Amino acid sequence: MRVAVIAGSLKAGMRIAREIENIAGVDIFVVVCNVRMKSLLQRWSREFLSALTSPSCWTLATKGCSYAQQGKLIILSGPLDDATSIQRLRSLQCDVGLHAANVIYREPTISAFRVGILNAHIGILPRYRGRCVVEWSVLQRDPTGVTVFFIDPGIDTGNRIVLREVIPSNGWKRVEALKNMLFECDARLYRKALEALMQPGVQFEANDISKGRRYYVMSKVFKQIVNEILTERANLA
Amino acid sequence: MALGTALSRPAQLDSCEGVLRGGLLRRRAELRKSWRHLMPSDCLESLGVFAKEVESFLSRVDAFRDWRFAAAFTWLNCNASFMDCLGAIALARDIEHRPSNTGPAGLSLVSFNKLASNQRSEILCDRYRCPLNIGLPSESDVAEELLRQLMVTDRTKLEEEVEFDVDMVLLKLNLVGVRAMITRDLRFLDALNYFYELPRRSLARMRTNPRFLASWLCIYAQLLGAPEW
Repeated sequence: MRVAVIAGSLKAGMRIAREIENIAGVDIFVVVCNVRMKSLLQRWSREFLSALTSPSCWTLATKGCSYAQQGKLIILSGPLDDATSIQRLRSLQCDVGLHAANVIYREPTISAFRVGILNAHIGILPRYRGRCVVEWSVLQRDPTGVTVFFIDPGIDTGNRIVLREVIPSNGWKRVEALKNMLFECDARLYRKALEALMQPGVQFEANDISKGRRYYVMSKVFKQIVNEILTERANLA
Repeated sequence: MALGTALSRPAQLDSCEGVLRGGLLRRRAELRKSWRHLMPSDCLESLGVFAKEVESFLSRVDAFRDWRFAAAFTWLNCNASFMDCLGAIALARDIEHRPSNTGPAGLSLVSFNKLASNQRSEILCDRYRCPLNIGLPSESDVAEELLRQLMVTDRTKLEEEVEFDVDMVLLKLNLVGVRAMITRDLRFLDALNYFYELPRRSLARMRTNPRFLASWLCIYAQLLGAPEW
């Protein structure tokens, strides 16, 4: 299976690549996008600083070089949905893409992958679509967790769910810390999802959007309430 | 189930509800003190006969009415105009309404979104002449679309402090607020929270439509005082 990590930075891409590179039968590429269309200097100084502050700075550098030497590190200079970028993605002939960049995917980008692009959404689908779903789940006393599904151009409406894992919010007092923990589950869950996809006769669960709602960015007053709920729960435990 | 688990879960639920209620009442207290920044004297006075009532309503502690009864009807007709009806709901007054077993045909959102702003406003004011109808289950798609527009495109404009369609944004905020009063959907309440927190310079532009601004603030005040979310 040929897999491309679509990342917003080299660091983010390599973190996921390292988790999945040992899966037998998986051939990995790391595609680094120019998310905010920064200049070359801005972009690489940001990458450099980010690598320097990373505890695994040396590993990142050596891994990055190794991927580059094998032609498995692709740096896109234009937008992801630009014709040149899509052509480059197509040329990789990948089966699956792994979302790790802050971008919106349009149909031509998605269809550059034979099976599709996986997203590790930090919410339980189909119930929680959209933004601030961790906050909304806590506020509405629902389970928190991550759902790995194949995206479509809509907002968390892709119909094929590969796996879903409930990850309790117990013990977390601040929602930002809880969200960071959930975001960092992506590599592990992508690994699980790829392993599931490689099983014969893999079946997907339908993401029935009629069973959920779309959520939006949350107000300050509600975010404060969410933090109070988390703190109170942690203190009760 | 272990006794500890059996006892702790309801306790957690109660505590969540308590925290939410506490947070909303804190915001209500803040609104009671700060609404004049959004609606200074000249803006309030332009409301004419309603000025005193709005002032008293926003300054009260117990400004609330339970509108959830509306959800049980198929449709509600009324003789009053949209503005009068909305004003009455905002000030928690009685409104004259006649339940009907049939409502209008569904609104095509694709066609609706292609219309000019004044036409969309006209359609919404006509369809929701009795604004309680926006809270009915049949109006879910329209309500979701209005919420989406507010929280995606309109919100961005106000955050960036660029020009926006004041009348349309206020109309949507009022309708979304009425829906929250009937359905107790926290997302709809949070749209009002979010807009209340937007830069004051953007909100100050809303003074060009004092009646819609006043009804929005009064509906918001009712929502913050509402129990059972």
